[in-house]
Amino acid sequence: MAEGQDEPKKITITVKTPKEKQQVEIDEDADVKKLKEVLSPKFSAEPEQLCLIFAGKILNDIDTLKQHNIKDGLTVHLVIKTPPRPEPEGATRRPPADIGATPFGLNSLGGLAGLESLGLGQSTFMDLQARMQQELLSNPDMLRQVLDNPLVQQMMNDPENMRTLITSNPQMQDLMARNPEISHMLNNPELLRQTMELARNPAMLQELMRSHDRALSNLESIPGGYNALQRMYRDIQEPMLNVASSMAGNPFSGLVDNSVDGTNPQQGAENRQPLPNPWQRGGGGGAAPAPTPGLINTPGMQSLLQQMSENPRLVQSMLSAPYTNTMLQALAADPDMASQLINQNPMFANNPQLQDQIRTMMPQMLAQLQNPEMQQMMSNPQALNALLQIQQGLEQLRSAAPTLVGNLGLGVGAAGASPAAGAPNAGGAAPPPAAPPAAPAAAPNAPPRTQQNSELFTQFMQRMMAAMSNNQTNSAQPPEQRYSQQLEQLTAMGFLNREANLQALIATFGDVNAAVERLLALGQLSMS
Amino acid sequence: MSEPQSSLLLKKQLAELNKNPVEGFSAGLIDDNDIYRWEVLIIGPPDTLYEGGFFKAHLHFPKEYPLRPPRMKFVTEIWHPNIEKNGDVCISILHEPGDDKWGYEKASERWLPVHTVETILISVISMLADPNDESPANVDAAKEWRESYSEFKRKVAQCVRKSQEDCS
Repeated sequence: MAEGQDEPKKITITVKTPKEKQQVEIDEDADVKKLKEVLSPKFSAEPEQLCLIFAGKILNDIDTLKQHNIKDGLTVHLVIKTPPRPEPEGATRRPPADIGATPFGLNSLGGLAGLESLGLGQSTFMDLQARMQQELLSNPDMLRQVLDNPLVQQMMNDPENMRTLITSNPQMQDLMARNPEISHMLNNPELLRQTMELARNPAMLQELMRSHDRALSNLESIPGGYNALQRMYRDIQEPMLNVASSMAGNPFSGLVDNSVDGTNPQQGAENRQPLPNPWQRGGGGGAAPAPTPGLINTPGMQSLLQQMSENPRLVQSMLSAPYTNTMLQALAADPDMASQLINQNPMFANNPQLQDQIRTMMPQMLAQLQNPEMQQMMSNPQALNALLQIQQGLEQLRSAAPTLVGNLGLGVGAAGASPAAGAPNAGGAAPPPAAPPAAPAAAPNAPPRTQQNSELFTQFMQRMMAAMSNNQTNSAQPPEQRYSQQLEQLTAMGFLNREANLQALIATFGDVNAAVERLLALGQLSMS
Repeated sequence: MSEPQSSLLLKKQLAELNKNPVEGFSAGLIDDNDIYRWEVLIIGPPDTLYEGGFFKAHLHFPKEYPLRPPRMKFVTEIWHPNIEKNGDVCISILHEPGDDKWGYEKASERWLPVHTVETILISVISMLADPNDESPANVDAAKEWRESYSEFKRKVAQCVRKSQEDCS
């Protein structure tokens, strides 16, 4: 109708924003959409950003001015909305795709298919995603954009470039000057390529960052966790070369630091936790009793282990994080890399015999680590707790009968190795689970002198493994089912927060009395 | 039958507000035939936590207006120490006139016949920017405002987001 008329009647309305005021002329029978189009250049904003308000109502695009009784001389309110931020949307769209789509995802990890049966990976992940979607605001998206940039990609595709990039970092230079192994590593094109693969996959990076944040926030919420974080910060985030030198016992330090500089320092810090130490334990426990058994007494180490066993969730989420699997996978796929890591490790470097052993053990260990059952066990709080107790027991034994343990060597040496690795952080939780597979694997290769002792140890470990495998049928169930009876009891007692009950039961391994105590203690904490 | 004073007064205010709207809110009627029931849209005041939000509220005037105050209720979900969870606004100038029987408020702080829609809304908008936590209507919000401000901010931001979704 408007078009048909030669002279539609014009009206002048005043449009007012909190900051300015403008008058516009518009057809009397125009709709709101038209008005917005007229206004958009005047207020230099997209029509979609404009929000018109009149007489207490927000004007919809399809409404006409007449409908709202907007007449000549009246004033309409205008609010210019901030343009919709793409980040949150991107963040929400991405996660679901990640699991299946990344080359590092669970699906493509043939050998790890069993992981899905855990259910843990998936559920923790969903949980994680849901929270992170809210918490992630801007960072990952920006990172993705940067990485998607063709220029950056091109640069990353060129190993030589990458190397220059990495070596141009003064910290890295210093690091290389002190640790020649690392510069060797930079000269290994294969390793560099893998690092880049990691860095180039935006989804992967995102996941890494998420898991990292989540793990940190988890840590913070454990009593005493904040202190642990502080320690961790001191030991890891602070000068990288300190880390590198103190982590010298850790075969992965080089690799991790390497990837750190190419991408994001935080990921690396987190990365090393779930993975590296199992190796460390395996290697150390296998043949070389470390000369520093007393280190297990470090309060930091012990309190951390304690915290880890009290918060199995954290361990679970760490172990089920995709990067853990990726690293395992990468190592399994590339024995060269693994052996090179061993060669470069100063702790092994002066002991060719040990190197040989580790090399022979390597495939076995990898197989063990990839074994779904094994992984399941790692995330079994009971197993972790048992290992903690064993460790403590060994420590007691050591103080009670030093000579015996000195001969036995293995257990305490293994225990000592982790702190020596300078990782008094969350990684402390990883060592115990790795001990069982490593020790039996090591036994056949152990030198005859310690054969007898290690056999004892092996038997012990095997018994423990057997005990654990008995538990596995239980632990495979989700905690809700496993502890359904206890949950009911708790509810009957008046503890109505099911989630808290479950957490308490998980933490106390199903002991209702302990769970009640814990719930009460927590309740008091939150009230004060 | 002549129109009551209240109706005339409100009509005058409505016409005036449509012609010269006041900063920060827009007022109209819920039903064009009922001058006693108003609908206002408060634009979240800039530089406050509520910035960017569109908060709709209803004003119900008694026939005795302006001798007695209207009731104001937010229809949009809003998290604020002085707004009850059901949306009722708790602000001293909307309280029935006379001395407070509990002695909290002076008569001068309570409803006075000089108040108009404009003065009410200006009070409400300034209350959004500056909550009065001495007589909270939403105790939880007041507690958060005092003790865990970040959580308070988060909840308000949620309301703001929601109010934006509702309006588009």
